[in-house]
Amino acid sequence: MADLTSLASMVEKGKHLETARLTKELLDQGMDPNQILNEGLQKGLLTLGERFKRNECFIPEVLLAARAMHAGMDLLRPLLVGTDAKPLATIVLGTVKDDLHDIGKNMVGMMLEGGGFRVLDVGVNVSPEQFMESVQKEGAAILAMSALLSTTMPYLKTTIEALESKGIRDRVKVLVGGAPVTEEYAKEIGADGYAPDAARAVDEARELLGISA
Amino acid sequence: MKPRERFLTALKHKEPDRVPQLIRWGKEIGERLSQIFGVSGEDLGPRIGNDAIVCQVGINALMEMSVGDLSEGETFTSEWGVVYQRQSGFNNPIKHPIEKREDLDTFKWPDPNNPRRLDEIKRVMKKYHNDYVVIVDLSSSLYEASMAHLRGMENFILDSYDDPEWVGRVLDGLADYYSTLGTHAVKEGVDIIRIGDDIGTQTGLLIPPELWRQLVKPRLRRMIRSFKKANPKIIILYHSCGDFSSVFDDLIELGVGFISTMQPTGAQADYAAIKKKYGDRLAFKGGLDTQQLLPHGSPAQIREEVKKLLRAYAPGGGYVFMPGHMLYQDVPTENIWAMMEALRDYGKYPLKI
Repeated sequence: MADLTSLASMVEKGKHLETARLTKELLDQGMDPNQILNEGLQKGLLTLGERFKRNECFIPEVLLAARAMHAGMDLLRPLLVGTDAKPLATIVLGTVKDDLHDIGKNMVGMMLEGGGFRVLDVGVNVSPEQFMESVQKEGAAILAMSALLSTTMPYLKTTIEALESKGIRDRVKVLVGGAPVTEEYAKEIGADGYAPDAARAVDEARELLGISA
Repeated sequence: MKPRERFLTALKHKEPDRVPQLIRWGKEIGERLSQIFGVSGEDLGPRIGNDAIVCQVGINALMEMSVGDLSEGETFTSEWGVVYQRQSGFNNPIKHPIEKREDLDTFKWPDPNNPRRLDEIKRVMKKYHNDYVVIVDLSSSLYEASMAHLRGMENFILDSYDDPEWVGRVLDGLADYYSTLGTHAVKEGVDIIRIGDDIGTQTGLLIPPELWRQLVKPRLRRMIRSFKKANPKIIILYHSCGDFSSVFDDLIELGVGFISTMQPTGAQADYAAIKKKYGDRLAFKGGLDTQQLLPHGSPAQIREEVKKLLRAYAPGGGYVFMPGHMLYQDVPTENIWAMMEALRDYGKYPLKI
């Protein structure tokens, strides 16, 4: 018999077919889709995220778990429309200008979704103007930017400066990350938060918005 | 001492006259250095004191300097069917020929026996081999070549779990191609075959080491065996970016004696510990941080770090100086200077640091 603990465990183990099967079973049993989402699917990914933070699992395992979570979410999505389920906040996410790297950024997106946020992924090679436009249009609470190259990292700063000159810097929290980015650099350029990996991006996003875990 | 002798002495774990060097750079830095030294192209390396020449014939050649005439944003398709786009002075793969797994059935592998592939190696051998070490670079070789070029990163990682047998076929195709091409190169008399994949991240291996051992290691073994069959003394240099120290023992077992580029991250941040643990079995190349120190550090900090690096890696030979990656346009000229001066001042044997 399906239960939320085994559903979360299937997500954590990255079993997408099993996850979809259990999600369907729980729905058939009449369980609230919001509960399935929060206490099953998202919980599974976040539990794996905790292990990822402790260096106890590898990137592929996060990708597998995120795929499993999505396999379940696909079944829930039509049922969640019209309920009062609301994401914690909207986060605009992208890789900075001149940088085409996306796997780290994608993982951050998956984890943030697992953490209950609505993530608007605006892709790679995103100019400061495009970031600003999305932030304004979506009413994003957080702008999360990634840079993989030391040569593109300065665009994190350029984008923050662009927010300032447009007078909207105080409306959005800025979260940065990527291989060459450090906490020190994040502070130096005036970002609000820094995360060294995808799992910690969730913690940092919650902290920036004052949401208790 | 000739550069060639210097380099090879160090690889025999003996101390030559000074620490050999092999510094490499992207297009913009190349232009800057050319203006200063009045020498351009491949002659620039020897001019600034490099002791070896690298001849890139692997799939990664297309990402770096060899297609230097593209303008930003421009794209091209390689003979492997990969589409690259120029961005930030680097050609990034943006479209992959094996979009669906069944595309492998009709995938056309390039011909490793095409004699034109040896033209560049022959030319470089003739021009430099008398005085310099010649390295033939066959990277990326297996996992990265599949992941970054042929199939796409997330897809190939998931394939590794969903259908390891299929992944084995892709890796076998690459291992066949490179075994043949590399054997031809070895027969040309080159000194070093460089193979490798970027399998390291900031904190450790990208994929679980057990998965690497299952999928990649047997193919690597096969490649290395074929090179050593053509010349038992051939030196095998294995490269990965990031921290790949969790498979150093495996690489040693396969017959790798030389590794690069020792990016100082994760366990590799402790130079002395790495030298102590593996220094009797591996020679190292690289190590100076290109993510923070070279672009953002001061000349004084760079000087100190070069000293620290040499103190750890250089005693007894077994070390070739190089930054932890190629130099890109964000490194100020004065920092390149500081690095080269520090190497000149502290890199003489017997070491006095």
